Amino acid sequence: MKDWTGVLRLEAEERNGKTVAKRVYFQGAFKVMRPIYHDDSGQACYYILNPGGGYLDGDRYQMKISLNERARLTLTTQSATKIYKTPNQLAYHETEINLKKGSYLEYITDPLIGYQDARYKQKTVINMEKGAAFLYSDIITSGWSPNGKQFSYDLLQLINEIYLDGELVVYDHIKLDPLHVNITSLGFMEGFTHLGSMIVVGEQVNHDLLDQLYEAIHEDTNEYKVGLSLLPVAGLIVRVLANSTQVIEKIHTKCHHIIYQQFFNTTPSFLRKY
Amino acid sequence: MDKNTLSLFQLCDSNFPTGAFSHSYGLESYIQEDQVHDQATLSEWIDVYINEQLVHSDGLASRLVYDALQEGNLETVWKLDRMLTVQNLPRETREGTQKMGDRMLNLVESLYDVPVLSIYRERINKKLSFGHPAIVFTMIGHHLGVSKSTTILYYLYSVISSLVQNAVRAIPLGQTAGQRTIQQCQGVLVEATEKILNLDEEEFGIISPGLELSQMQHERVNIRIFMS
Repeated sequence: MKDWTGVLRLEAEERNGKTVAKRVYFQGAFKVMRPIYHDDSGQACYYILNPGGGYLDGDRYQMKISLNERARLTLTTQSATKIYKTPNQLAYHETEINLKKGSYLEYITDPLIGYQDARYKQKTVINMEKGAAFLYSDIITSGWSPNGKQFSYDLLQLINEIYLDGELVVYDHIKLDPLHVNITSLGFMEGFTHLGSMIVVGEQVNHDLLDQLYEAIHEDTNEYKVGLSLLPVAGLIVRVLANSTQVIEKIHTKCHHIIYQQFFNTTPSFLRKY
Repeated sequence: MDKNTLSLFQLCDSNFPTGAFSHSYGLESYIQEDQVHDQATLSEWIDVYINEQLVHSDGLASRLVYDALQEGNLETVWKLDRMLTVQNLPRETREGTQKMGDRMLNLVESLYDVPVLSIYRERINKKLSFGHPAIVFTMIGHHLGVSKSTTILYYLYSVISSLVQNAVRAIPLGQTAGQRTIQQCQGVLVEATEKILNLDEEEFGIISPGLELSQMQHERVNIRIFMS
């Protein structure tokens, strides 16, 4: 194994209607708490902790999450992911997710905060079997600097590759590079500071669901701008430009509820953060 | 050689019936919001569209396809066809592009007898490939022996000249303003080609959030001139 700052492996399976860990392993600056069962659905919720408090120069994190048939899991962070300045080498986080038929993973991350002079790359590869379902969301903020300057980080790059039965079906590549791109301009962030993304892949996604989401989140407002569309396979994407984490979280929560309702005919539990 | 360049140029003509006249790639959303309303704002929009979207998708793919054709490595060509399609997340734009790729392939198939075109056609019919104008165009450029950089440059030009024609109708702008916009774009296109030739493969598919979002929003526009 390469030299990782933090490693997390989690394999979960369904036993008598309840999702339980088959194997959990973590090492270094990665940790998960014991699973929490928010309701009687059997869906387990794991909080990922980063005891270091943030990503530092040259940090490398690796996560592997596997769900067996019918396992249902929520994976979330405990608080915002902070990327501190990386004078020598960028911080890197790679994730591999494997979803067997009938399994469901929701991977809901807290906002990403790039500090001044920070560089960060995240690559997430999701391998799904037909019949699995996946929901992902992230929020990228304009970062943090001592003098309040926005977009003072050097690089935030997020790549999501989704494979369905071995075939690449979604490729999402966001690279925010304020050193080389006029990031606030027309066509880019368009004057907004925060970017939210939600990607859902699952056989139950259809045009009606997209319309429902649109009805729920579309507003004639200057507070945010939202676009949503259907993916090349049964699935959808919601992109939001806004000026605060809260606005995007509200939209993501609304979408999450409607999608969860469609998938499981009930509403998801509120994710408590401690 | 001049003859071959001229032949490739035929594909750049905005009258070349690929259906480009019915796509705005989200530009219509900006026109409706009055963010693009004159020559200056149009040039600004096009600049972003070229540098933040085309370069990382169609442009880089064209370069990689050209190299792959040179090496006879068709697997890479099909892989790029898929990459181009699955990185294009706004459905309307993705499906519109696919349709254009299909029409362009039909046309060039009746103009040129090149084996790779029939293989591409067969793969599309079998749903193994999707079809993309950048790939069809590059196949012809390569077949004609036109250099890689010229092929890329001409492809970008073909996209932009149709787009400006569309903008002239939609904003509306005078024909002279349209031609001036195209003229101003030429330097941008040459620089973009240079950039594409030196781009790391890892830069493939980087999106421009605002552009992408407006392409998605266009799906919900009620009164429209364009299909995307």
